Amino acid sequence: MFEDKRTGLALALPAAVFAAALFLLPVGILLSEGFRNADGWSLAPYVEFFASGRNRVVFLRTLKLAALVAGVSAVIGYATAFAIVSLPPASRGRVFALVTLPLMISPVARTYAWLVILGRTGFVNQVLVGSGLLDTPLRLLFTETAVFIGLLQLFLPLMIISLVSAMENMPRDAVPAARVLGANWFQVFARVILPLTREGLVIGGTLVFTGSMTAYITPAILGGAKVLMLETLLYQRVTVANDFASASVIAMILMVMAFSANLLLKRLATARRAR
Amino acid sequence: MTRRPAKTRLLAAASLSALALAPAAHAADKTLTISVYSFAQDEFKEIVYDPFEEICDCDIVVETGNSVERLAKIEANKDDPVIDMAVLSTHDAMGAARKDLLQPVDVSKLSNYDKLYDIAKDPLGDHLGIGYTFYATSIVYRSDKVTVESWADLMSPELAGNVAFPDVTTNQGPPALYMLGQAMGSEGYDLSPAIEEVAAHADDIVTYYVRSSQLAQLMQQEEIWAAPVGRFAWGRFKDNGLPMEWARPKEGQTGGMNVMVMTANNGNEDLALQFMDFWLSTDIQTALAEALVDSPANAEVEVSDEVAENLTYGAETVASLKLLPPDVILDSRESWLEEWNAKVLK
Repeated sequence: MFEDKRTGLALALPAAVFAAALFLLPVGILLSEGFRNADGWSLAPYVEFFASGRNRVVFLRTLKLAALVAGVSAVIGYATAFAIVSLPPASRGRVFALVTLPLMISPVARTYAWLVILGRTGFVNQVLVGSGLLDTPLRLLFTETAVFIGLLQLFLPLMIISLVSAMENMPRDAVPAARVLGANWFQVFARVILPLTREGLVIGGTLVFTGSMTAYITPAILGGAKVLMLETLLYQRVTVANDFASASVIAMILMVMAFSANLLLKRLATARRAR
Repeated sequence: MTRRPAKTRLLAAASLSALALAPAAHAADKTLTISVYSFAQDEFKEIVYDPFEEICDCDIVVETGNSVERLAKIEANKDDPVIDMAVLSTHDAMGAARKDLLQPVDVSKLSNYDKLYDIAKDPLGDHLGIGYTFYATSIVYRSDKVTVESWADLMSPELAGNVAFPDVTTNQGPPALYMLGQAMGSEGYDLSPAIEEVAAHADDIVTYYVRSSQLAQLMQQEEIWAAPVGRFAWGRFKDNGLPMEWARPKEGQTGGMNVMVMTANNGNEDLALQFMDFWLSTDIQTALAEALVDSPANAEVEVSDEVAENLTYGAETVASLKLLPPDVILDSRESWLEEWNAKVLK
């Protein structure tokens, strides 16, 4: 693109300096605190963190919910993305705009809406009780289910956008060709669509998993202290215990989880390609 | 684990990030830098900051944030203070005092000092903090559903599945646990029996709330019928269209107090004292009370019954508050948190 590498490097330099000085360095300092104790450099803070049964529960809950949200959003995302790319171009734009619309609304507002919908006098319980399915309203708020629903609604558009972009780059006759050759819909998905859209799945999966894992507002509002997650625990350690070292440990764990998820998804995609 | 170096390094890191975004400081002959809560800053500007700037012919630089952020900044700049005075909860102020971040306030230079309620004059000892506002904490409840006469009623079968409790991390949490313990017959400031009691009723408690605004919505949605809450939030409940009552439990009400503090070696003591005195004056304390911003610590303040209804007001009310001592909160809050997380948030 550029006549020589130096031009490209010179153009990238301001952004690189900005990122290094104002992101990498502060984050590096923050994360290094997790490897210190009174005696100097040590892994003891991590050992102490995982020695606590409650911390392990919080860690596993965070992992479970993030993985569930990523998995379910992938399933819904593929169906929605396939439906969108099957539409005529004029309608496709309108439907795609509808999918992206929630991203323009504050996550706080979207989460508060769920607080109303899932409440004892909310829409879900009104339907369940009104239809005679239940005698008394269900307790939906401040449960893992509520957090899962909130996170899914929050991040599903990111998965759909990634998969729509990936599917638009697929050869248009790939699916009809597979059908003509006798493939059923499951085979079409597993052998044609999935291999051709894996990059979109990796990007979408990483965004959704990482976003769900590090979300604070949604778990705080819909789950509260009863559904403690790593991000909520981090906030607690800083604001109450004034314990920046433990907070650094949690931040590092969250970062490692995010990178691991990305690597795992890439590995899965590569494995399918190698086959 | 060593903490101070960690925080100092983190502050340095944060400062690096903030450097590019920092607004240019405006030069003035006299500048007073204050560190306050983010709460009601528009009202404070109108009632306190702007009028004082006209009197002192100085500039007030206001820094806001939560207690942790603000204390970390004061500590990071201990050798060359950038904050002249701050307002903190009593226990946070005591924590700062223990780290030698504060100096005694010279009360002889405060003309309004003698007007304060006794409880506000020297809550930390050695005049390290001067109380400027306080609040009662009791139980708000739906009077058409239940009657609350004791803190123990929070755990009654009538309220099972319809009660919220403040999280231990909030300013309302430990005082509410303290009063629950009192109702159970606990002695002193041991909160363990109360934490055990909450844990035993964990399935009956809808949520452990962290913000009173969240609580108001839960009450409005009829998710809950009762919860311990600070008096400053009463206005959110009393006009919600539902039959609400403020409980007067037989064990009494608890609460909290905020204090003004003077940072050590700030070199701007005279101006800071002048500002404190202005804030504690009858006129300013009255204006803040009438705007429903702060309950007055100045005993000379007189407000209408309608305004008083929303505040923690009057000598009798103030004297009746059962407050947790700041040193107890400071020394115990981490162990309370651990116990709470282990037993309640299983």
